[in-house]
Amino acid sequence: MTLPILERPGQRAYPPRRSALTGHFWDQLAAGRFVTTECAACSRMTFPPKSFCPHCWSREVRWRDVPTGGTIYTQTVVHIAPAIFAHEAPYRLCIFDLDAGIRIATRLVDADSDVMPGTRGELVALRYADGPMFGVRPVRG
Amino acid sequence: MQRSVAIIGVAAKPCGKMMEKPDAPVQVLEHEVLAECVIDAVNDAGIDKSAIGSMVFSHPRVYTRQMYFATFMAHYLRLPADGIVMEVLGNGMTGGLAFDQAVDQVASGRADVALALGTSFEMGADTAAHLNNTMRATGDVDFQTSCGFTPIAWYAMDAVRYMHEFGATRAEIASVAVKNRRHAALNPLAQFRKPITLEEVLAQRMIVEPLGLYEVPPRSDGAACIVVASEDVAREIGRPYVRIRGRGFHHEGAHQISEVPNDMTAFEPATRAARVAYAQAGVTAADMDFAEVYAPCTIVEVCVSEACGLVERGRGAAAAASGETSLGGRIPICTSGGLQSRGHPPYVTPLYNILEVVEQLRHRAGERQVKDARLGMAICELGNYNAALMHVMEAVA
Repeated sequence: MTLPILERPGQRAYPPRRSALTGHFWDQLAAGRFVTTECAACSRMTFPPKSFCPHCWSREVRWRDVPTGGTIYTQTVVHIAPAIFAHEAPYRLCIFDLDAGIRIATRLVDADSDVMPGTRGELVALRYADGPMFGVRPVRG
Repeated sequence: MQRSVAIIGVAAKPCGKMMEKPDAPVQVLEHEVLAECVIDAVNDAGIDKSAIGSMVFSHPRVYTRQMYFATFMAHYLRLPADGIVMEVLGNGMTGGLAFDQAVDQVASGRADVALALGTSFEMGADTAAHLNNTMRATGDVDFQTSCGFTPIAWYAMDAVRYMHEFGATRAEIASVAVKNRRHAALNPLAQFRKPITLEEVLAQRMIVEPLGLYEVPPRSDGAACIVVASEDVAREIGRPYVRIRGRGFHHEGAHQISEVPNDMTAFEPATRAARVAYAQAGVTAADMDFAEVYAPCTIVEVCVSEACGLVERGRGAAAAASGETSLGGRIPICTSGGLQSRGHPPYVTPLYNILEVVEQLRHRAGERQVKDARLGMAICELGNYNAALMHVMEAVA
């Protein structure tokens, strides 16, 4: 269940912060794995990872790999971007429904205008000089 | 104790640019502008300032230099208060929360008269720098915003999904902007009043696909004040007033998107808030003579008009294109010109929407008057309608 790692030029535009908890997620992502927390009591996953289950509030959670396949629910292209992201514009974003039952919002890469809702996709890791990000790319054929 | 609450006075400045760049020799100051609105609104209400027991302010934007704005204004207006003086903040819902809290002050008996008021000044900051700030207001700053989401990018994704599911065309959705500009042409408070054609809307440069410049909100400054009072006070004054008949609120416990996949364009919180508000008022959506909805982008008006039961699910864009939601149509929506054309000073936009409902129900809307308007509603939101707050209001002549 390793992710394709795509090389990206330069630094992340708006680097996510690490906490003692989420640092594990970013470290795993850098190594090509997409992990999150799952509840030991009710078995539901949550993303982003948390120290408790948001569904039943149990504190018994464990890390697990997330299968990387899913379906693009919707997408857009940002033309007018915040100053921080201006050098990357226009760029594509999507909402992605993982087969594991989790909805995420992230960057859509290696896509063109024919990416319609319903298109299959997969998670990818994006390797910048200063650390990782994640994204989704369409799966062709 | 819950008392019946009335709206007895309103005032606002035209939406648009008021704030100057920081280096301009003469500045337009928030408190000076808001004080004018307060005096206008109180005169409109026909009360003495001594009757005011509470003031609930929308929190000013980050560009407002004067901090602790509410208590500063209590001083500036020399207005002692026994109810409450406070500021509220809730993203796009901010002005709606101020109104809701002011209504609660009166309903609970803590004040006989309360003001809901505020400013939203941001035009002194340029757009790209401003977006560095507002992007932090929607989504998760570490796990989503770090990819470059902007507040309206979420609405653009609503549009893509909506077109996919219901076969609506981009032109149908864009017709909302044409309709709203037609309404704004008749509203002296509107920022953009020159009529536009569908061709012009479709020809604008893309901001977030598929939404072009005229389908997203402009940037605006604004200032507004609403005077609410117990119905006893309203009756005593003897002028036409507006009675609040129903109120509903729902937050779905999700910020921007639900991590558990749901129907994102259904705007479920709006449906739930509307259900409660209509029920409390003893009416249905079909009883509304008009509606003033918080809809930053064209697609948002489409989705929320469906969620509130004004238009059948999947038909919102077609209804706008066919004129059903125009002045003179079956259910006029955003007679003010909406957020695209009336303007969108975010923290006070819901106050402008309440103001429009009050003007319509007091039959003071001039050329944009909805004939025989008796019942209307205003709804506002935050996120991508992750939360909604709705009020049903009635004319009392």
